[in-house]
This record gives sequence, C-alpha cells and structure tokens, in this order.
Amino acid sequence: MKSQWHLPGELIQRYATGRLEPVQVMSVETHLSRCAACREAVPYDEEWLATSWERIEDLVDRPSPRPAARLLHRAGVPDHLATFLAATPTPARGWLAAVGAVLTFAVTAAHLAGQDPFWAVHAVVPFLTIAPVLPLAGIALAYGPHVDPVHELQAATPMAGPRLLLLRALAVLVPAVVLTSIAAPFLPGPGRLAAAWLLPALALTAGTLALSTRVSPRLAAGGLVTAWLAALALEGGLAGHVFVFFSPAAQALYGTAAPILAVFAYRRRAHLDPGESRWNRL
Amino acid sequence: MEPTVTVRGLTKRFGRKTVLDGLALELGRGVTGLLGPNGAGKTTLLRTLATTLAPDAGEVRALGLDPSDRVQRTEIRRRLGYLPQSPGHYPHFTAFELVEYVAILKEHADRRKRHREVRRVLAETGLTEQSRTKVRKLSGGMRQRLALAQALLGDPDLLVLDEPTVGLDPEQRMRFRALVSRLGESRTVLLSTHQTEDVAALCERVIVMKDGRNVFDGTPRDLAATAAGQVWLSHRPPADSQLFWRAADGRYRTLGARPQDAVPAEPGVEDGYLLLLGEAAEVAA
Repeated sequence: MKSQWHLPGELIQRYATGRLEPVQVMSVETHLSRCAACREAVPYDEEWLATSWERIEDLVDRPSPRPAARLLHRAGVPDHLATFLAATPTPARGWLAAVGAVLTFAVTAAHLAGQDPFWAVHAVVPFLTIAPVLPLAGIALAYGPHVDPVHELQAATPMAGPRLLLLRALAVLVPAVVLTSIAAPFLPGPGRLAAAWLLPALALTAGTLALSTRVSPRLAAGGLVTAWLAALALEGGLAGHVFVFFSPAAQALYGTAAPILAVFAYRRRAHLDPGESRWNRL
Repeated sequence: MEPTVTVRGLTKRFGRKTVLDGLALELGRGVTGLLGPNGAGKTTLLRTLATTLAPDAGEVRALGLDPSDRVQRTEIRRRLGYLPQSPGHYPHFTAFELVEYVAILKEHADRRKRHREVRRVLAETGLTEQSRTKVRKLSGGMRQRLALAQALLGDPDLLVLDEPTVGLDPEQRMRFRALVSRLGESRTVLLSTHQTEDVAALCERVIVMKDGRNVFDGTPRDLAATAAGQVWLSHRPPADSQLFWRAADGRYRTLGARPQDAVPAEPGVEDGYLLLLGEAAEVAA
C-alpha cells in the first residue's frame, strides 16, 4: 500500500542533523523505507556516504590482523609497519620453531647437567654458546634471492635494499631475543650467568650487519657463527671452561663493540644489498 | 613525445656468457611484445628495466629517470609494476595478505586506502572471491593472476610483465588481453611471451631478440610481412627438410622455399618470427 502521509520538513531536518531521540529515528526510518518521496527529501552528503560505505566495506572485508601485528600496533608501531614486521617471520616460520627447539634443548641439558656435581659448573655452557648466535641465523634467512621466495618481486619495490634488509633483520632479531629472554630464567645457577648471552648476541648481530656491507649476509652470519663456536671450543679445550668469554671484561668489550659496529653498518647501509651496490657502481 | 624507456649499449654477462650484447631500444606509450627463444636475453632485459638486475655496461633511462642513481631508482620503483618470470609466493598468506604485503612495500601506508587498492587489483584480475583463500590452495592460473594483481598496485606508469600469460586458460587469456590493452592506452607496457598469438592480438609493436640483440623492431604486421612469399600450403609434406607442420585443415604449412604443388598462404606473426630466427630462414635463403 502506498504511504499517504509524509514526514514534515522540520522532522526531516531534525533527523538529518541527528537531533532526534532513538525511538523517533526508528519511526522515521521505518517510514523512509516505504516512502520514496520522503527518501528524496532527506538531504545527504555524497562524500560522507561514500566514505561511510568504504569504512563498512573495509570493516567487513579486511582480514583480521595477525596477533603480532595487533601487539605491535598497540605498542605504537604504525599500522603498515606492524603488518609488515608481523608478516616477515612467516617465511622463516621454521626458523622460529628451530629457535624454540634449540633453546628448549639447551635449558633441558643445563638442568640434566646440573644434577651431576662434576658437570654442574658447566651446565649453562650449551645455552651460552648457542644463544648469542641464534639471531645471526635469522638474519641469514631474512633477506636475499636464495632465501626469500618473493625476493625478485620485492626487489622492484621502493622499499627494496638496505631499508628492507634492516627491517627484516629487526623482525627476526626481536623474536629471537624475546624467546631467549623467556628461556634464560629457566636455567639453573646464578642469574647473572643466565643474562650473559645478551651483549655477545647484540655484538655478533651488529658484526653480521657490518660484515654484510662487504660480503653477503649469509656468508657474514656463517663466518661469525663459525668463528664464535671455534673460539669457544678452543678455549674450552685449552682452559677447560669458556667463562672468560662471558667475564665482566668481555661483556664490556661486547657492550662497546655492539654500538660501534651498528653505527658502522648503518653508515655503510648502501652496501648492504649487493644487487643495489652494483647499480650504484654504474 | 619523449620515450618512456631508453636503452643504449646495454650489456650483461653471466660468467663467460654474454646475455645482453650492446642492446639498444626505445619504448613509448602502448603495448610492446618481446619475442625470442629461451636464452635470448628477454628476462635479463626485463629485470634490468625493473631495476632488480644491474647491467655491466650501457645506459638505461626509465620514465626519464636514471636507475644508477639511488634516489631516481626508488622513484622508478614507485611508478613501476613488475611481474617477474617466477614471482614466488608465501604459501601461508591469503591472496589479500600477499597483495597487501606488496602494497606496503610500495609505500601504501594508509590502511584504508591500501585495502581499497588491494580490493581494486584483486577485482581487476577476477580474484575477489579468492581474497581469503591461502595462496597454496590457489591453482597455477590463479597464482599467475595474483602476481599480475600486485603488478597493478598504484596504477603504475610502466608495466614490465615477464611471460604473463603462462598458466592462464583461454578465457583468462582473453580477459588478460582486454585488461592489458586498456592499460596500454595510457601507459607503457612491455611484455615478454612465447605466444605469438598474444603478440598478434595485443601488441602495437614487437621486438624480437636473439643472442642478446634486437633483431627485429616493428609492428606485428611488419613481422608477418617479412614472411611474404615464404609460406606455403600443400596436400603433401615437402620433400626436403624444410620447416613444416600439419595444419588444422589437414594441409601442410611450409616455411621457406616453395614445395611442389604448393600454393602461397597468408603469412602470420608466427611465420615471420620462425623465419627470422629458425633454420627455415637458412633453408629459404
């Protein structure tokens, strides 16, 4: 049945400017749904309508952000960077699982060794040996044509090159440090030993980035991991323990080296991606 | 009008093999097809224009900018759409997430605008229904369309497409042709392909490469015309070892010298291409 009655102009005006009570709004909208003439009479802002539709469409259509992206966004990281950083470790999901497995092994080994008085003093050695080099493995897997399936596609984007490499390094470094920090308190023995991995880890990470300005990140990380493990094995063989590498003097050295190497890597960042460097040399 | 792309003396070597050998070309608005056998240097040329591979020597200008300058290279990338030969993918991403990831790398920082752009390119490539599907569950043709979708982000001025029709079924290829020909009205599109039908149907200009050099540059009609007087139809196969095949109507299509009892046939792009590059050219000479 056609509606005979029409909304008074004053009521339409109050409706359009949002000055009606909810119950009146419902009543007006019920009428509008049946009366084309009154619908025509309600003024609307085309731009506002388009924006509102877009918001609704986005709300309905967009994928729910990954938990890590939500966390980063809440911590103040811009939305697009949060999405990017949260997505980055996904290609290296196996690497994150490997970090977890290695840490679990190191902590379990420490507890088992701690039960034996002969081995008790060395209980944290596997953890201290492995923890500092875990971020290096992540960096080696974070960027490059041989480790990233979409590298060629990414290399043609404005973010390609050092910026992308450094962001990716950050995206693998942070989870590695967080996971190791979670594992460390579960170690037996004094707390200061459990924290002794952090400065060597930062120094080795900065060293990898610095060396990556000369050779590929894979080679840089591989070289430093080998050097670190060889040095610890040699010292362990000669002196019977490796704690000299975690002594206060050594920690001071790592603490000094880490920022120097990080600044060096940043200043030479144009050389971090060999593909980009070749363009620059033309 | 100033060309969008200019290449002079472009040289690239991989070890002892020279893949691009002093190549020179200019590209303007419209769709240009790049033909050539495997190893001719097509992908190397496209990678160079897409700024993912630096040449050993020569001069490149894209969109009036010099890619050897870091700032100008970044500007080229802002205005470039690139579909690599092997685009790769992250299998755990959904189609939407993968395109959004590339959109972030292309500096689409505003979330709402970025999402709108992602939806637009997914719709352009007919993937709206698959936007929430994991990439690993998409068919090969859908993945190819997804790779094309990311290349369309930001409405680029220069589109570099390496074998874009691989894996597409006939209907998808028709849709692709419609899309690219529309894009070519206002942009520069360079695509490499092994499909001479795509070149004939889509491209205003065709460049044929061989051994890192440009051996033909003209319209598809010009390429077909190079085969005039060298294409024959007969009911029996030719006696000597000329290039020939059995056509759909049961007759033999021969390229080169005229076989006995053969009648001349209208040459096509494929005939010109094969004669330009193949043994048939030597036989015909």
